[in-house]
Amino acid sequence: MVRVKSRYLLCEVNVTDRNLLLLLDDRAVTATVKDVVQRIHGDYGAALCSFGFSVKYINAVTGIIFLRFPKKCYKQLWTALPFITSIEARGKKIPCFLNCIYVGGTIRTCQKFLIRYNAHQLRRMLPKCKSDDEKRNIQQAILDCSLTRTHTDEAEDALESEEDE
Amino acid sequence: MRRESSLHARSGDMSFVADFHQEALKKDQGPERYLKIQLELEEEVSLSEVEFRFFIVSGLRSLHGEVGAALTFDLLEHDEVSNVAVLRVSREGLVKLWSSLTLLGFYKNQRCAFRVLQVSSSPPES
Repeated sequence: MVRVKSRYLLCEVNVTDRNLLLLLDDRAVTATVKDVVQRIHGDYGAALCSFGFSVKYINAVTGIIFLRFPKKCYKQLWTALPFITSIEARGKKIPCFLNCIYVGGTIRTCQKFLIRYNAHQLRRMLPKCKSDDEKRNIQQAILDCSLTRTHTDEAEDALESEEDE
Repeated sequence: MRRESSLHARSGDMSFVADFHQEALKKDQGPERYLKIQLELEEEVSLSEVEFRFFIVSGLRSLHGEVGAALTFDLLEHDEVSNVAVLRVSREGLVKLWSSLTLLGFYKNQRCAFRVLQVSSSPPES
């Protein structure tokens, strides 16, 4: 059966001042991406972006965002992302740059990758711990990293695995 | 291509025929395309080469953004009276250039239209 395929770009927002990250919201990111695509790819890019593009997930604490693009034009719109220099959120400009760390066919694969990535980041932070308490917290967090599965998810997994390329 | 034919000339007479045939085949595989266009305006306005080029780049920028505006094309011949011009562009850029010429509708508040008279992969003779 014909299935609507899309690509999910897992991006990390890098800022110098982490307090500004908390101001992120999805409308600001949507507006910024559409604006930059209009600038780089013109009316044609803006049209590609209007239907099918959305921001699926934002984590303001770690700065991770999921962007959804249609499969046909995701590479073109991906090329516009490095030109983002700042995101305007709630009246403040957050100077930042976007770093794409993963491209997945479904949100589930992106989630799986994100869990592995976060565990990796936590392990990197472990040697830098200053107190035993922090160490214990991080070790507990690493052990807690897992994807909770329900029985409906397992049936969907078989179908979704076709999409992953 | 000229260089090749002069090299082949030394090896024998029959190679001329093969050479000509090869050149004819190579025509469509050339890396460039030539577009002969005419700009029609409501009133008779003659544009200089610079204005013409700027107008085309502004059309590319509006349809294809900065990537389109960076597309390299050459304005080979330009007739100011009749506003006929020959553009040379790479094969990949032809679609972008042609589509932005089609969608250019206004020149300084005057309605305008680009008529494409000829498209070829070798330079026009005239």
